[in-house]
Amino acid sequence: MIFRSHLLSMILYAGLVSTVLSFLRRDDKKSRLKYGLVMFAIMAGGAILFGWLMYLFTL
Amino acid sequence: MKDKPEAAYLCLRPKVAKILPVMKMKGIAMMVLGWAVPGLGHFAQKKYLRGTVFFGCLAAMTALGLALGGRIYPFQTENPLTILAFFADIGNGLLYLLSRFIPIGLGDLKLATFEFGTAYIAGAGLLNFLVALDAYDIAAGTKS
Repeated sequence: MIFRSHLLSMILYAGLVSTVLSFLRRDDKKSRLKYGLVMFAIMAGGAILFGWLMYLFTL
Repeated sequence: MKDKPEAAYLCLRPKVAKILPVMKMKGIAMMVLGWAVPGLGHFAQKKYLRGTVFFGCLAAMTALGLALGGRIYPFQTENPLTILAFFADIGNGLLYLLSRFIPIGLGDLKLATFEFGTAYIAGAGLLNFLVALDAYDIAAGTKS
């Protein structure tokens, strides 16, 4: 089955969502790129950070 | 001097009042098109780049969600939490309607990718609501 890696699935998901949001929220090419990259970094980085945070509270 | 802008506003008002319902109707039509097929509302307004990006991203998300074994939830009251998933899924427009008649998006709980697939489909639906509203805004003249 495709995408056994949850990390890859999450990264691709973050990439697609940030692309759509950047085209919705910004009008010119440069600000779209900047907004998209920031959104992607927040989503992907935030998920990894949150994952490690949950690791601290494993039973 | 004080009366001038007010007079200009009153002069414009009938024109605006005349155009407004037409723009609203067009906006609603574009919103429905955008809801039915992601990006179609933008294509119809000659926003080809945006339409292509929205269609490409949202169709890819939905296709991946289905390939990962995700589920398109119908409206069911037995499990109240799935009502939220239902509202997200109806954002997929025609695909949601198709899924009620042909066996797609049934979901396979045994797969490790089931949750991700369902999230992909629900995410595509929610984003498509925003895309459809964007098409409305363009048609109504509040966005270029």
